Amino acid sequence: MPAEHLARFLSARWGEPVSITGLKRFHGGSARQTYRFDAIGASGRREALVLRRDPPSSLIETDRLAEYRAIACFAGSDVPVPEPIFCDPGPDSFGSPGFLMREVPGGAAAGLLEPEPYGEHAAAIGQKFFTAMGRIHAADPAGASLPAMAPADAAAARLAHWQAAFRADAFRPEPLVDAAFRWLAAHLPPPPARISIVHGDYRSGNFLHDGAGRLLAVLDWEMVHPGDAHEDLAWACDPLWSNFSGRPAASLPLAQAITAWETASGLTINPESWRWWRLFAQVQGLVIWISAAREILDGRSHDPVLMFAGTIPYRFHSLTLAHSLEGLN
Amino acid sequence: MSLPLPVLLHALAAAQAAEVAPALQLLGQPGAPDANYAGGTAATSALILMIAAAEIAAVPAREAACAAAARPLVGAAAAGRDARAAALGQLLAAGDARALSLLKAEAQAEWQVLAGLMLPPPVPVE
Repeated sequence: MPAEHLARFLSARWGEPVSITGLKRFHGGSARQTYRFDAIGASGRREALVLRRDPPSSLIETDRLAEYRAIACFAGSDVPVPEPIFCDPGPDSFGSPGFLMREVPGGAAAGLLEPEPYGEHAAAIGQKFFTAMGRIHAADPAGASLPAMAPADAAAARLAHWQAAFRADAFRPEPLVDAAFRWLAAHLPPPPARISIVHGDYRSGNFLHDGAGRLLAVLDWEMVHPGDAHEDLAWACDPLWSNFSGRPAASLPLAQAITAWETASGLTINPESWRWWRLFAQVQGLVIWISAAREILDGRSHDPVLMFAGTIPYRFHSLTLAHSLEGLN
Repeated sequence: MSLPLPVLLHALAAAQAAEVAPALQLLGQPGAPDANYAGGTAATSALILMIAAAEIAAVPAREAACAAAARPLVGAAAAGRDARAAALGQLLAAGDARALSLLKAEAQAEWQVLAGLMLPPPVPVE
């Protein structure tokens, strides 16, 4: 990403010559390329900004406008998000579709394999993490410009979405995924009490914290959609995101996490839905990891992050899914 | 792993040239735009190389054990991961719990390769 490109764009937007310093690309995040930089105007105006734009090859195909609108929906609310600035759904501004946000200073995100990423603040982080999720689910989906959806369609729509992705990207027999899809289709959960804003990738690693128990910003909204709040809850509590701790999001015990979510959302967990969405979470994960591997297989990417997705998380979810299928009837 | 090993090795070789080598050139230049990205790319690539090496060492014994375990159930289709998976999948679709047990055992054996890289087994969240 050339700094000249950003300087040209911001100079036109600010109405004064702008220079760019401190341009840095963040590692990971294969659904977007993410850069931070300082923009300095001739007048002395200075802003620390973050650009997220589409890469040539992505882990998942997503809609950048939907992500931007979701962030804008919660800007200034009690759900911490970066301040959105500008979105271009075309390639004119940033070379590919993308958007600008203000940088959240002093934040860190947990790594997938990092043991106890929140240290002594794990319980405090977990309380805030699951409370913020509940607040997202309490919000009106229309505020994020999400399309209307009938509650009865929530599970079937997501199932169809990932079945289609699986059909498109699977390149070798996946009998565990096939079996799970069969069970999910035959045991659709009851409709949710209401349609919620579903973040779609709400988990440890997708938020910034200050290292002292404070949640600074919920990130990575690229998979946002209307749906059943159980979907986010099950994904956030999937063992893959527990850093091998046995606690959801490597934070607080499961019962406390659910209580925090119920209190903030005004929703009550439905055991039947919970069971269904927990299996669904593993299947969704496996399809994402298979799609990542397919990018490599087809030569569309040589990104080691996609190779990682196609190895460690793939094997993790293959094993947990086999265990889960044994427990079904 | 989901990626067949030859494909992974081929992609890794391409990644060294296209992504990792250029990234390594940036590691000593903190002011370079992609220096941060470079460190992560190089580290992830190193991890994948370790997995690939462990996989190469583990495949013969694992394949022989999984094929031997599945042969009484699926016969000649037991040889080769994909043929075995397809045959066990057909049995699983018909409700044969033994097929699921074999698929789980193979998933455990595949995870065991990662245990050599100090990754613990998945821990349930309950």
